[in-house]
Amino acid sequence: MTEQEIYANLSRKFGDKVIEFMEEGTHNPTVVVDAGAIAKIVTYLKDDEKLQFDSLMNLAGHDADVETEFSVIYHLVSTELKHYITLKVFTSRDEPKVASIANIHRTADWHERETFDLYGINFEGHPDLKRILMEDDWEGYPLRKDYVPAEFYRGMRIEKVK
Amino acid sequence: MGRLHAEEMVLNMGPQHPSTHGVLRLKLRTDGEIVSHIEPVIGYLHRSFEKHAENLEYQMITPFTGRCDYLAAIGSEHGYAMAVEKMMGIELPERVEYLRVIFAEFQRIASHLVAVGTFGLDVGAITPFIYCFRERELILDLFEMASGARLLYNYIWIGGLAHDVPPGFVEKAYEFLDAFDERVAEYNQILTGNKIFIERAADIGVMTPEVAINYGVTGPSLRASGVNIDIRRTEPYSIYDRFDFDVPLGQGLQGTIGDSWDRYYVRVLEMNESAKIIRQALDQLPVEGDVKSAIPRRIRPPKGEIYFRSENPRGELGYYIVSNGKNVPLRLKMRSPAFSNLSVINEIGQGWMISDVIAILGSLDIVLGEIDR
Amino acid sequence: MIQLLANWILSFDILSGMGNSVAWGLSLFIVAALIFVFVAANAIVLVYIERKVSAFMQVRLGPMRVGKFGTLQTVADALKLLQKEDIIPKMADKVLFIIGPWVILVASVVTFAAIPFSDTLLAANMNIGLFYVVSISSIVVLGIVMAGWASNNKWSLYGAMRSAAQIISYEIPVGITLIAVVAVVGSLNLQTMIQAQAGTGNLFHWIPIPLPNWFIFHSPFLFIAAFVYLIGATAEINRTPFDIPESESELVAGFMTEFSGLRWALFFLSEYANATLVALLVSIIFLGGWQSPFADYEGAQIGFSVITLVAIMWTLFVRAKTGRLSVYPLGLSLVITIAAWLFPGFAIWMASPGIFWMLMKAGTIIFLLMWFRWTFPRLRVDQLMYVSWKVILPLSLINLMGVAIWMWLTGEIQF
Repeated sequence: MTEQEIYANLSRKFGDKVIEFMEEGTHNPTVVVDAGAIAKIVTYLKDDEKLQFDSLMNLAGHDADVETEFSVIYHLVSTELKHYITLKVFTSRDEPKVASIANIHRTADWHERETFDLYGINFEGHPDLKRILMEDDWEGYPLRKDYVPAEFYRGMRIEKVK
Repeated sequence: MGRLHAEEMVLNMGPQHPSTHGVLRLKLRTDGEIVSHIEPVIGYLHRSFEKHAENLEYQMITPFTGRCDYLAAIGSEHGYAMAVEKMMGIELPERVEYLRVIFAEFQRIASHLVAVGTFGLDVGAITPFIYCFRERELILDLFEMASGARLLYNYIWIGGLAHDVPPGFVEKAYEFLDAFDERVAEYNQILTGNKIFIERAADIGVMTPEVAINYGVTGPSLRASGVNIDIRRTEPYSIYDRFDFDVPLGQGLQGTIGDSWDRYYVRVLEMNESAKIIRQALDQLPVEGDVKSAIPRRIRPPKGEIYFRSENPRGELGYYIVSNGKNVPLRLKMRSPAFSNLSVINEIGQGWMISDVIAILGSLDIVLGEIDR
Repeated sequence: MIQLLANWILSFDILSGMGNSVAWGLSLFIVAALIFVFVAANAIVLVYIERKVSAFMQVRLGPMRVGKFGTLQTVADALKLLQKEDIIPKMADKVLFIIGPWVILVASVVTFAAIPFSDTLLAANMNIGLFYVVSISSIVVLGIVMAGWASNNKWSLYGAMRSAAQIISYEIPVGITLIAVVAVVGSLNLQTMIQAQAGTGNLFHWIPIPLPNWFIFHSPFLFIAAFVYLIGATAEINRTPFDIPESESELVAGFMTEFSGLRWALFFLSEYANATLVALLVSIIFLGGWQSPFADYEGAQIGFSVITLVAIMWTLFVRAKTGRLSVYPLGLSLVITIAAWLFPGFAIWMASPGIFWMLMKAGTIIFLLMWFRWTFPRLRVDQLMYVSWKVILPLSLINLMGVAIWMWLTGEIQF
């Protein structure tokens, strides 16, 4: 199935939860969906006979600028039918939260933890959301565009690199 | 008779432990020798690759990618270069494509040699490890001839290669290939068919295809479960569609499909397949061609984003790159194969003994450099 | 040997005044010192040999820098270990931590007192020699548990527990296997055992192949028993493929994880002492100890001619299989054969019993142990128990019964 058809399928099924279809400016045609509905949509994509998106290739957070919203990108593939779809959700900067899909695709478990670690996006319903790459007591979320590098970590000076 | 349950003990395996293949910590909950829960703790090798990448120009990122998966640096460089090239729409000279494939496959052999050897080490066989390193040295010699480095090459640049190969390289590569099949037979003799080795690896840590796909396990570990997915075959990138090679799958020759032995043996077979690809690529290698002709003067991919995946020795290596038209990427995420491969350890390692957990970890073939990035 | 030494001391005019008991005490001390020196020197030599053997098995060179062909490497290593800092972990049980290695060392050194190296070279000719050796060497497990427990380290504890379970499990089949031999000899005295293996006879009593009267050729059951004993003993001394108590890829270093410097060296010393002990025991019990494999000088000449023939066939086989020509075994056996035919004196020396044969046999077994170590992977702990309780133990019981029946059939004993 092409991405266009999948988009049509999804918007039939989920109505206004499926916001738009982006083909311009990306090599992986993307369906933008609602952050709260992502779990339902991914479940549908996984379970539907004609779609069978059983594998989550990648889950990445993204922060375009200091003022824009955060986004989370899901790259899904069907190992059986060999088709692809990319999903994207936007979430507000002040209170970033996205529904967790860790119980649907176990891949998402660590990837969501990583995204939480680096962007501070709260994945609701994640079984064990905690930092994964950074230290447990690290302050701030390093990949946010407005992140200011800490000067000290546990009394140790962090060297500034130009 | 029921099993006697005693108090559970938490055992910290790592960060300093000989069999964690780097700086990994596994929190094991053990009941006697039986492990009831495994919690991997990662991040000890975190070097902020993605944060660095957001502050570096595209061409400056290449050496950083190699440092992520230090056992297969060419694989990382190749994937990154291809992702950026696809964004910019660069057409490569034939010779560059062939040389890249040759090096990528040599790197696959070298990486699998380490995987196979260290797996032997994990179950207590020391000698095969040294044999594997003997061949790896010869491959590293070839890399040294071409790039001047033995581990981290910075050889594949965006749009080309750092240097053309020196004269005599092709002959030496052929020489290596001629001896290689015999050497693989030697490993099979000393390790693969060993009764104790089979006892230790077969039926241990069986990973069903459903579990493997659900956890995002890729590469040889996935194919050992019988899932026929090799990105070189299913969506050929570079020039992989021109070569004739098989995709070895786990067949459960000594036990169940998807056990540790299968994961080991798929790697052994893949080495032979890689050698086959290299031989074909060397046969077809165009004599003429400037490897630097397609390197762009300014690397500024047009505004947009891409998720590009390629087959690393450890599995699917994906780069998610967002460009805003400047010479510095807005976002670069590396989807590292070992990251997902490691996450499955609790699922398949539960209920086995401590020794088995080490064997299972070894059969997954992780590199902490790319897990922690 | 002690009495001999005492007499020899008293034979000097200057020393004759010291009295018999003092001389006896002095010679006791000298013999004890000699045994310890033997164990220490033996460990240094064996470490070097092990490193070289493993290197050649792994297409490397091994130590090459210190001394010619690296011969002084282990001496240098031993010196380094002596001057290393002795660390006792803060939370360790200090007393046990200090005693542990010494218990292991003492237990493994003391066993050598009963080992006959030749017909006169033996510290104590005990009538319960075999029993003594087996029981004393099992004290090692106490030391290992002490060391593992005292380290206050989970890995050490695992190593100690595994080791205790393993050594105790394997002692049973090993003991029963030894009883089969004792049944044949009718004595626990190791010297008597060796003397019972003198001369030549037919293979398994009936098959007309002239072979030495060693117990390994006594009956099919003892032939199997020899291998059962070798496997069991390998497990008892914690060597690969049964080295799970110190498996470096799993338990870091098992019970010796927390030890350093001299204390660690003691473990190493006793490890090699144990390996040597097992090799000596195998050669005493099954391979005729210090007996020569040849009955007389003609036997030596013919025997070596046969060995040369085997060497030729082996060389041709290797040549056909791998395309490589390895001439060392052939050359060595050829030289010895020619020497044996040219100089009857040499052949007579070959046919006479002595410490040379003892060390040759023990050396072969030690090489075998090294060969195991550098080619086999390691068994898992439950598989190890499986081998002990479900394979080796029944086999050793069958052997014991079989040996008794065999002796009745061949008329060695009557009911």
